[in-house]
Amino acid sequence: MSTHHHHDQDFLFKYVFSTDHKMISKQFLITGFIMGFIGMIMSTLFRLQLGWPGESFWIIDKLLGSWAENGVMAPDKYLALVTMHGTIMVFFLLTAGLSGTFSNLLIPLQIGARDMASGFLNMLSYWFFFLSSVIMLISLGVEGGAASAGWTIYPPLSALPQAIPGSGLGMTLWLISMAIFIVSSLLGSLNYIVTILNLRTKGMSMTRMPLTIWAFFLTAIIGVVSFPVLLSAALLLIFDRSFGTSFYLSDIYIGGQVLEHTGGSPILFEHLFWFLGHPEVYIVLLPALGITSEIISTMSRKPIFGYRAMIGSMLAIAFLSTIVWGHHMFVTGMNPFLGAVFTFTTLLIAIPSAVKVFNYLTTLWKGNIKFSPATLFSIGLVSTFISGGLTGLILGDSALDINVHDTYFVVGHFHIVMGLSAIFGMFAGVYHWFPKLFGRMMNNRLGSIHFWVTIVCAYGVFFPMHFLGLAGVPRRYYTNSEFPLFDNLMDINVLISMFAIAIAFGQLLFLYNFVYSALRGPKAPQNPWESNSLEWTTPVEHIHGNWYGDIPEVHRWPYDYSKVDKNGEYIGGKDFIPQTTPLFENETEEAH
Amino acid sequence: MTTITLQDNILSKDEIRKKTAKPLLWIGIVSIVMFFGGWTSAVIVSKGASSNWLNINLPISFTISTIIIILSSLSFHYGLIAIKNNKTSQLKWSVIITLLLGLGFVLSQYLGWKELYQNGVFATGSKSTSASSFIYLITVFHVLHLLAGIISLIIVGSKSFLEKYSSQNTLGVELSVIYWHFLGGLWIYLFLFLKYIA
Repeated sequence: MSTHHHHDQDFLFKYVFSTDHKMISKQFLITGFIMGFIGMIMSTLFRLQLGWPGESFWIIDKLLGSWAENGVMAPDKYLALVTMHGTIMVFFLLTAGLSGTFSNLLIPLQIGARDMASGFLNMLSYWFFFLSSVIMLISLGVEGGAASAGWTIYPPLSALPQAIPGSGLGMTLWLISMAIFIVSSLLGSLNYIVTILNLRTKGMSMTRMPLTIWAFFLTAIIGVVSFPVLLSAALLLIFDRSFGTSFYLSDIYIGGQVLEHTGGSPILFEHLFWFLGHPEVYIVLLPALGITSEIISTMSRKPIFGYRAMIGSMLAIAFLSTIVWGHHMFVTGMNPFLGAVFTFTTLLIAIPSAVKVFNYLTTLWKGNIKFSPATLFSIGLVSTFISGGLTGLILGDSALDINVHDTYFVVGHFHIVMGLSAIFGMFAGVYHWFPKLFGRMMNNRLGSIHFWVTIVCAYGVFFPMHFLGLAGVPRRYYTNSEFPLFDNLMDINVLISMFAIAIAFGQLLFLYNFVYSALRGPKAPQNPWESNSLEWTTPVEHIHGNWYGDIPEVHRWPYDYSKVDKNGEYIGGKDFIPQTTPLFENETEEAH
Repeated sequence: MTTITLQDNILSKDEIRKKTAKPLLWIGIVSIVMFFGGWTSAVIVSKGASSNWLNINLPISFTISTIIIILSSLSFHYGLIAIKNNKTSQLKWSVIITLLLGLGFVLSQYLGWKELYQNGVFATGSKSTSASSFIYLITVFHVLHLLAGIISLIIVGSKSFLEKYSSQNTLGVELSVIYWHFLGGLWIYLFLFLKYIA
């Protein structure tokens, strides 16, 4: 590294208002993780209430104060915590935290670009995200408490400020925070799409791109198409709340008073919300699937099986995700014929999903698998993608859904297929690209323990929920102790809560490993996983512009692992051939 | 932080801007389309769910606005062709005329809202319905997007008076023209939608 410093950027522009994609990536990661830890603590607290309803806890008393008289969580605060947990996890951790971190880090590095198309928009994207995070956290502290209508904020609960305490200022701040969040997400997506389309290095054709990049690309496209619709829905809600319009309201009585709203429909909100809400599942999931594809291929030392099928299935998932929103609304009095249409489109998603799972398994099959924590979490993702996806077939069917709608069956389903899969993908990504993020290695042993604690406890939390749901236990209730028919199911709730506490402690291992390794971990070598993709050709320490001198040219796809010639010898002498290596004599490019 | 010398084969900042500015704008336009698409679909859903949907006659001003915005698109496009042939003074005239037509559109929209109000069509309050609120909301938010277009016209106008454009350097004009045409097309869609479907 040259010791010659041309113009030292001062602290403010290097670490705070940075336009460098690598720094912005770290900002997204750390902000996302802080939000994620807050969201996790919330869930642990309300699991205490669900496992041991009405009992007094020292920790609840200390953390929640006036929200929990004598250490017992107040019912309205329970609703606020559930709402904020969902909002924070879905949007702040798994949308901005996941996509923001890895799209920013990997897009320029893996396609061979100096930076994003617009570093300035990229910086704005982070700071809008930061601002929305701060507003969302402030909303916890206002009188009446945070938004309490669930993360889906259905009207009329969310549309009438006088409805419940959490419908007041907390709800207003929620909406403001989300509007800013959407702006952040759109600015980010714009940049990702244009960078991928226009700034690829020489030789990097679309079909030589790593699958991570394909995943981030399609995620950004879904974001651009669906987030504006959530913004339009949120604006209508703001107008209903504050300016006396009736988009979502009609014929409402509250406290014996007739309200003067006519002509609106609360179902309208559900249509608009789920037009974003379902694609949002894939905004969360696709980056994780892309990360997994890359890691599984690299760590099993085999080319990804069915590269084009992987791209095709992601395209199919991205397209189908925009025409299935009605499956969230089977019980709204929807025309049964329309329900059947949505059932059909929903079940179609099983096909590309199955293609992906098949390709993951065939890539792993007979591979020379190196079990790093990233590999483990990637395989964990394949597991949760299957076990959570299978219950999706039940919920996607309009006739079957009615029986388990709004029960713990749904909670179990989406936490496994979306929550766990996405967070496993995110953990896998952090373990795998930590050397690229911080120039140091994480501790493998701690990482492996973290994985096993996490996957065992995660299944321990969410798998039993299916049985609660099948027995009819409704979700979002403060307690079910008033219903004698659920009395014999209480032990399941205790078990779930114990696993929830254990998984929370398990994450401390990760936190310790992350912080310690970032500061004191062993220095990372140039290419720690012997990977083919371009990001490992950049210097270990971060430099402006990513490469000294020219940007490398690309001559092959990124999955030439264990490529052998006719005699069974490794071509090039090693079990990997970086993308920058020109084709050898007598070598043909893989027909992928 | 170490800086590096850029080699010949590497895009300069200016080249990156040339390559990416238009795609950035187009994708931004897609998101605006989805935003208004959300609202016009919302109108259809609300209309379907409502038993007493109010059919509102659009004021004549909205028709006049439509003519004005089509003319403004033509005048701005004329300016783009002019600058591509290095005729800088014609660009200046084109921008001034387009700006006046743009402001005329805003005025005409305002007269339209006034007429609606006088006919008892209200945006909010107990006498409003979601049908009447939607008309105001959609048209007002279109004008808000148009204000961004007017700001871009003012920028392009000032730069053309500072002789910043030539047949070799038309990117700023092109971006502004694309956005302006889009606003025109968006208005025609919204106008026809409100007139025949809402």
